[in-house]
Amino acid sequence: MKAPLQSRQQIPRQRILERIRAATLDCAQDPAMREEAYAALPRAYTRHGQLSAEARLKLMIERLREYDAEVVETTPEALPDAIAAQLAASDKHSFLAPPGTPSEWMVTAAWKISGLEWTIDHGLATAEIEQSEGVVTAASCGIADSGTIVLHHSASEGRRVLSLLPDWHLIILRASQVVETLPEYFARFQQPSGLVTWISGPSATADIEMTRIKGVHGPRFLNVILVRDKS
Amino acid sequence: MRELGHPVILCNRQIVLLSNNIRVRVYALRQSVAVMRASLFITCYNDTLYPETGRAVVRLLERLGVEVDFHAQQTCCGQMHANTGFRGEAFSQAKRFVRLYQEAETVVIPSSSCVAMMRDQYPGLFEELGNEELRRQFAALLPRVYELSEFLIDRLGVEDVGAYFPHRVVYHASCHGVRALHLGERPYRLLAKVRGLALATLENVDRCCGFGGTFSVKNAEVSSAMLAVKLQDVIATGAEYCTALDNSCLMHLGGAMHRQYAGMKTIHLAEILASTEDAPAEATL
Amino acid sequence: MNYSHAELDPRKALPFPKAVLPVLRNPQLRKNVAHAIDVIQTKRARLVAEKDDWQELRTAASAIRAHALENLGAYLEQFEERCTAAGGTVHWAADADEARRIILDLLRQEKASEVIKIKTMTSAEIQLNPFLEANGVSAFETDLAEIILQLGGEEPSHIVVPALHVNRSQVREIFARRMGLKNLSDDPKELTNAARTYLRQKFLAIPTAISGANFLIAETGSVAVVESEGNGRMCLTLPRTMITLAGIEKVLPRFQDLEVMLQLLARSATGERMNPYTSLWTGVTAGDGPQSFHVVLLDNERSSILAKAKQRQTLKCIRCAACMNACPVYRQTGGHAYGSVYPGPIGAILTPQLMQMKFAQSLPYASSLCGACYEVCPVKINIPDVLLELRAQVVNQERGRAARYFDPMYVGLRVANLLFAKAWLFHVAQRLGRIGLGLYTRKDGWIHSLPGIGAKWTQTRDLRGLPDESFHEWWAKRGSQPGKEGK
Repeated sequence: MKAPLQSRQQIPRQRILERIRAATLDCAQDPAMREEAYAALPRAYTRHGQLSAEARLKLMIERLREYDAEVVETTPEALPDAIAAQLAASDKHSFLAPPGTPSEWMVTAAWKISGLEWTIDHGLATAEIEQSEGVVTAASCGIADSGTIVLHHSASEGRRVLSLLPDWHLIILRASQVVETLPEYFARFQQPSGLVTWISGPSATADIEMTRIKGVHGPRFLNVILVRDKS
Repeated sequence: MRELGHPVILCNRQIVLLSNNIRVRVYALRQSVAVMRASLFITCYNDTLYPETGRAVVRLLERLGVEVDFHAQQTCCGQMHANTGFRGEAFSQAKRFVRLYQEAETVVIPSSSCVAMMRDQYPGLFEELGNEELRRQFAALLPRVYELSEFLIDRLGVEDVGAYFPHRVVYHASCHGVRALHLGERPYRLLAKVRGLALATLENVDRCCGFGGTFSVKNAEVSSAMLAVKLQDVIATGAEYCTALDNSCLMHLGGAMHRQYAGMKTIHLAEILASTEDAPAEATL
Repeated sequence: MNYSHAELDPRKALPFPKAVLPVLRNPQLRKNVAHAIDVIQTKRARLVAEKDDWQELRTAASAIRAHALENLGAYLEQFEERCTAAGGTVHWAADADEARRIILDLLRQEKASEVIKIKTMTSAEIQLNPFLEANGVSAFETDLAEIILQLGGEEPSHIVVPALHVNRSQVREIFARRMGLKNLSDDPKELTNAARTYLRQKFLAIPTAISGANFLIAETGSVAVVESEGNGRMCLTLPRTMITLAGIEKVLPRFQDLEVMLQLLARSATGERMNPYTSLWTGVTAGDGPQSFHVVLLDNERSSILAKAKQRQTLKCIRCAACMNACPVYRQTGGHAYGSVYPGPIGAILTPQLMQMKFAQSLPYASSLCGACYEVCPVKINIPDVLLELRAQVVNQERGRAARYFDPMYVGLRVANLLFAKAWLFHVAQRLGRIGLGLYTRKDGWIHSLPGIGAKWTQTRDLRGLPDESFHEWWAKRGSQPGKEGK
């Protein structure tokens, strides 16, 4: 049964590619010329931001707050306490953490808040993730211009589902991870991860009379702790 | 305005003296330098429907010391045909235009959509249907083709044309003027220097009035709906006159104003600029 | 109860001038559309104004998209190779029928009787949902607007906010009826929550999903989906099997090209600096998301569009809908009158081309050529230019038909062309016109009513009567001496 399926896929493939080739006879280029043409594409847009480090962070915070995200700043030393404070203020008790989460992020909170429950994701079932009220993850990058946080879903950022089902998402973002422009993000991560999620504020819709409503399916609450490390 | 004379130098060829009683005298230095010549392409619908616009252009340009010439064989630029899909027909009119005007020093056209037709569509028509010679002739001619406000500001270098028009006016920025010719501030700069004129601000100034040539007939209902929205903004200004650089939009707006007894009149910008205290704009309906 | 009546199959839809009539007589619908459009436009204008490099971004985006199309074959093959290497399976569909068959076969292999969907206009283009339904598969839309449409039996009228023609009280009625929530208020927040609850179980229970794609990345074999609500992330993450349907034109050469596209897309589409969620995935990732991933690449006449150099730019489109938001025609008519899932200016050029110019010939004329669409297009598609090209094709089709002599517009323009060829003929026609129209001109000098095609004009506007003397007659009398006439 394999051969017919194979050929069934092959025939349209070749037909379409032939049509495309015929359609682009006037313009398609050989690999070397294509590379050259690509390199010569006009890119006169702003690549690098002009802001000072401080102004960049200020803009990042301002943009996040425009999205109704809760933002607090802290130092690397005070981070565990800051996490504990955020969790305590959330009024929630069951939290998820990706497997790569530094233990000090969890220990202080667990010690300080009674009834707090951490579940570390070592292949949790969807139903278990769905039961949790919140999640704490790291991030790969922050883009100040649009208030975007980028997850590459590494061990400390967690699987995609982890930062999706719980209603409350706390992101730990280091100041050194914040760039000003989107092109600066792409300059920093030229070898992209296979999975990328760009998050710009909590889940939202404006489908009913263009009224912006926060929280449709993704987390309704986005919280960010900005850690002032050395840039 | 107390001083007696306020000289403005135009293209190193003329000196205009604007005196404090708003009368304008023109001294062209004819003995030493040739006078600028402008060939007026009036356009088919202005010729037929709005001759007063043509008369105003002549009066205005002559007042500014320009020698105006009119080619009796002219008819149409081909826009109506090109925009409806009659490319071959549009081409024959485009060819006619180039043949008639290739010797002209400058061509002035009081219609931004016709100028846009030449700039945006003639090259494609000639590329597709014309020959090398025609393309060359057109390429040489095109830089000398001006829409009226371009001619005044870019070619003559004048903003104050000595006009007097003591009315509240709203300017309708036609789509072709805004987005095809990029006229930008030009019409506003000209209007700002018209004595006695109060310029009203128009909301949604760059929104189409819904004319669109044969669109107004082919899609009459949609065109009318667009017109109604535009008219609301125009009427809300409370102006006495609505002006533009395209009589086509004005025919559309004016037709609805008249139907609705709106009490506002339309007038081409050339007629405002031609108007002086001694010779006010011609009475219109 | 439907809030609008729409036929979005271009083969069956009424011509645009007829299709607009029910809309123009529906003040509630027009109000809903204008309100939504004005909100987006205001937001967009503010965010575009703050971007100093907007024009440079447009120039780059236009060049990247043009380059990708010029080398489409090579980039698609590269995409296929990388996606396959990452564990995905790439299928090729020459037309809508093939695409539907491939998707149904995949669903049957999965023994799926239900499927969840991320909003995809391409699936609407191939009319996937009714086909699946007819073959025993229930497709559940998950985008809020799409749920409103699906539950209300409505058709999309916009490509980004497809339910913009429905207002909150209409949404309330649809949800109350279809979800059995009698006490629902018309507060958008409450309505949104109702949708959240309604869909949550479906997300968790249905193991197969269908998505569209905003971009395919040739360099990495990745797919990118741009969304706001998180329903996309749900569909991309929770199911076992994921099927992505994408037009062949969606490919970008490199990952880095997103730095241009993502800056333009959200600003153009919804007036946001960035949409809440953009997801990119590459084949299959162990332990994260669907472990079976298929991409269906759809041609469906795109390669024919690609073959025509002047029309090729149509395929640069990134479906942001800025053109319809800026369009003064769309603002009056909404989307349904275009008789296609692709409305507005982009629909007016895309639909007839997807139909090989056999249907939808009225769409290239559904524009006043005001140029607002071209001005806002983030990838610089010169829509007015393509409209003119398509109009020329429509006229050339008409030239071969006997019925052309009964079309007053056709006859009128052919005759006008003869008149414009000789000035004396034109001048004779002017004089005849003056006499003819004189019969209709009232004492006030205006024409209030005309017969035939002229009635199209006079149904809402008057026409000033022809003046007694044309300009060239005045000029001939005056001679060329300046200052002779009445100064």
